[in-house]
Amino acid sequence: MLYKDAFKTATRSLTHGKMRSILTMLGIVIGIASVIILMSIGQSAQNLILGQVQSIGSNLIIIMPGAPTNGKFSSPASSQGIIITSLQQRDVDDLQREPSVMAVAPEVRGQASVVYGNNNVSVGYAGATTDLFEVSNLTIGKGQKFSKSDVDSANHVAVIGPDLANTLFGPSLNPIDKTIRVKNISFRVVGVLSKGGTGAFGVDMGNLVILPITVAQKQLLGMNYFNVIIAKANPNYDINFAKSRITFSLRQNHGITDPNKDDFTIQTQADILSLLGNITSILTIFLAAIASISLVVGGIGIMNIMLVSVTERTREIGLRKAVGATNNDILQQFLIESVLLTFVGGVIGILMGAIIVILIYFVLSTFFSIGWVFAFPISAVVMGLVVSGVSGIAFGIYPARKAGKKNPIDALRYE
Amino acid sequence: MIEVNNLKKEYLEEDVTTKALRGVTFSIEQGEFVSIMGPSGSGKSTLLHILSFLDRPTGGSYKFQGKSIDDMTDRELAHVRNSDMGFVFQSFNLLSRLTVYDNVEIPLLYSEIPSAKRKNLVEEAIKSVGLEDKIYTEAARLSGGQKQRVAIARALVTDPNVIFADEPTGNLDSQSGLQVMEIFEALNKKGRTVILVTHETQTAEFANRIIRIKDGVVESDKAIIANQHHRNNLK
Repeated sequence: MLYKDAFKTATRSLTHGKMRSILTMLGIVIGIASVIILMSIGQSAQNLILGQVQSIGSNLIIIMPGAPTNGKFSSPASSQGIIITSLQQRDVDDLQREPSVMAVAPEVRGQASVVYGNNNVSVGYAGATTDLFEVSNLTIGKGQKFSKSDVDSANHVAVIGPDLANTLFGPSLNPIDKTIRVKNISFRVVGVLSKGGTGAFGVDMGNLVILPITVAQKQLLGMNYFNVIIAKANPNYDINFAKSRITFSLRQNHGITDPNKDDFTIQTQADILSLLGNITSILTIFLAAIASISLVVGGIGIMNIMLVSVTERTREIGLRKAVGATNNDILQQFLIESVLLTFVGGVIGILMGAIIVILIYFVLSTFFSIGWVFAFPISAVVMGLVVSGVSGIAFGIYPARKAGKKNPIDALRYE
Repeated sequence: MIEVNNLKKEYLEEDVTTKALRGVTFSIEQGEFVSIMGPSGSGKSTLLHILSFLDRPTGGSYKFQGKSIDDMTDRELAHVRNSDMGFVFQSFNLLSRLTVYDNVEIPLLYSEIPSAKRKNLVEEAIKSVGLEDKIYTEAARLSGGQKQRVAIARALVTDPNVIFADEPTGNLDSQSGLQVMEIFEALNKKGRTVILVTHETQTAEFANRIIRIKDGVVESDKAIIANQHHRNNLK
């Protein structure tokens, strides 16, 4: 039997029972649609998260004190509250001479109450050099950033985040040249950051106070080491080369010969991205796996209906065999019917999924003003089509074989 | 063309063996019109099923056009059924939702005849049973006599050598039955072998030979001269 004829015969018998065909397909439609929706949402969430990390800057190398932990998913000791003093000014000086590194920004961090007039808020502060503004892509909305000489002479100046400015000064008062008190030390506000939001390490940029590192180290924290050094790789060099140069330089400074005994941890943004990418991919796969349960249920529905159909059409099978259909012709006819059901169901499911994803995107961006990234992965479409086709074969083969094996005489006599 | 020798068929159902055929021997030449008669349960339908390759015997030999059924695979049997045999059943066995055209086309779907030639063959077959005005009517809307004529057209469409008919007039009124039998007669006159199972004497006497089966064996096998008198009575 020609495929064209087999296809025609199959479509004809499916269209004769339209309602039944539609209901049978529904299981597959819902299954494929939910897989598509969840894969798309997973992809969108991944894009959103990775986009935020990328906005920190793509050629950053982050150096933290403390030995790297073995597990990819655990953080170095320093970020768990253990004080490690291994990052020193000498390291920063050496890195500044390294040609593959464009800028080096050492940082110290702390938490303090900030006071202006009667307003008192507890916020995080960062002691930094002017390089921080460059490596972290920070821009100034009002006023200006503090200068290198402010850092060198430990001047009491501060740049604050826009949300903090609003809390302390209200919408009408200009914060520039006002004096605020941080840990009871007076600082003159010289600039306000242009935008808030979440920066690297989850720092709330809107409520951040940035002070010259010299002041923060000596007068606020009383320490001579750094909490983190952010280096920006020279774009003319490969970032991994810069990373290896930094590693070499730090090991030399710290007198480390055994690479397993590093007292610092270096992460590039690529490391963080791949880590986050892994986590979100796993989540997406997990979601899709749950959704695919409904596909199995839909497939069993198809098998069920095909079995009923084979029994109902026993006489038709007998007649077709009597006039010359082979077992394979009959098997093929029923298999095409079930694949057609699942495939058409799959296509409808993909379309429905796409419509729902667009609706979600519309609702989130219009009513919740979330910067949701619309993503409709082609892989999900391809997977949807393949899975629906394969499930048609998987769940159709048993009824089809049953039909093909029927004895023509018994089939013709079937009442 | 058809040679059966000591043909046997036993059914085993729930440990009880039923002997439907106990050794049947005869042969049929190309161009004969044979009626197989017998009371119900005599084995005549079983015999027809074996002759028409729908079933296999459990003993004896059956050669169709010189080839033994035992040497043929199910696939080959299907092929012979398609190209050399036509079938007409008591209950028509049309696919009621398909049109007359689509019903008649079914055997061609399983043949090697190229699709370009099919339309012609189908139209010709429908014309030969006088249903050209019903060609695109759904089979379900036809009368019994018309349905049986569609079934004959379906049997003819692959231009087979032999047509098997199992009680073709059993579900028809006498007028329609006569029409159907006249079609068989005309087909036989054009050289086709017709093998008919019936229990009605009047129908059987359209043939030029009657084989009577009783209790699974041949009771009698006689050539007859088709009797115009019966036909007049039927009319």
